Amino acid sequence: MAGPLALALVLGLASLSFIMRATGPFLPNLPSAVTERTVGLAPALLAALVAIQLTGPHGLLHLDVKVPAVIVAAVLAALRAPFIVCVVAGALVAALLRALVHLN
Amino acid sequence: MPGPLRRHLSYLMAAMRADRSVREILQAAAPIALAVFVFGASFGVLAVAARLPAWSVVLMSILVFAGSAQFAALGVIAAGGSVLTAIFAGALLNLRFIATGIAVARSLPGGRLLRSLLAQLSIDESYAMSVRAGAPGAPDGRTLLVTGACLYAVWVLGTLIGALFGPVLGDPKRLGLDAAFPAGFVALLWPLLSGRHAVRCAIGGAVAALTLAPFTPPGIPLAGAAVVGLWLAR
Repeated sequence: MAGPLALALVLGLASLSFIMRATGPFLPNLPSAVTERTVGLAPALLAALVAIQLTGPHGLLHLDVKVPAVIVAAVLAALRAPFIVCVVAGALVAALLRALVHLN
Repeated sequence: MPGPLRRHLSYLMAAMRADRSVREILQAAAPIALAVFVFGASFGVLAVAARLPAWSVVLMSILVFAGSAQFAALGVIAAGGSVLTAIFAGALLNLRFIATGIAVARSLPGGRLLRSLLAQLSIDESYAMSVRAGAPGAPDGRTLLVTGACLYAVWVLGTLIGALFGPVLGDPKRLGLDAAFPAGFVALLWPLLSGRHAVRCAIGGAVAALTLAPFTPPGIPLAGAAVVGLWLAR
């Protein structure tokens, strides 16, 4: 990625993150019913990111070596393996399946 | 140094000396710091493999300091998405910091301006530690600051080391690095799945994203998942 584009990415995300962290002290205490709802954001978004990573060019589910990679990572995460172990295992599964079975 | 700032700083130093020592807080944070360091290093490696310039990768960790949001933005870029979609994905994940900011605001020293600056040290891990160390409904501000500062240092250092060693690796696809993103998202997701609500939100988010993905531009599926997550959270 070209430098200016990368800089735009960094500054865009940084400024929005700064604003979100900075607003708390300026807001009144919202009812807990409102703030408690934000706990639903992270699981919903991360699950959506997994799903989107598994889709192909037309936004449809695309079955390739990423599927077994995700399954292995999920099993390891369920066994409380550290983040890096899940990531490396996922990458390894994909790399091995590509090298050995010539899957896509 | 202007008077108000000096007053805030002395307040901060006095707060630092209170009951729980900095050393005790750092000892409690050590295992988390190690995990954050490794997370930062893996982010650095994957970001450089996704063809981001190394300086921008380190700058992102310095300025954003939010692992899952940075990882989400990078996942979009690695999958060929646009910069705007990547910013959108990361920012959506960081929306929760508005809520944690409200929760920690009262526990931080100084006026609103200083508190909004100090709140920049909140990430999931430092926030969780401050909640554990504080009274119900009142997270411990000092734990947030000390843990947050420590994790900030290791996050940036980890990213730097990852970004320096990343280029040694080689062809990302042959190494399965494209599969590292969904694997990483699953690894971030899994510990959050405690309780029926969280599971419901995760399933709802995935279904919403997959339903919208075939006929909406990138970014919209994530926005849909965010709305479903907020809706199903209670």
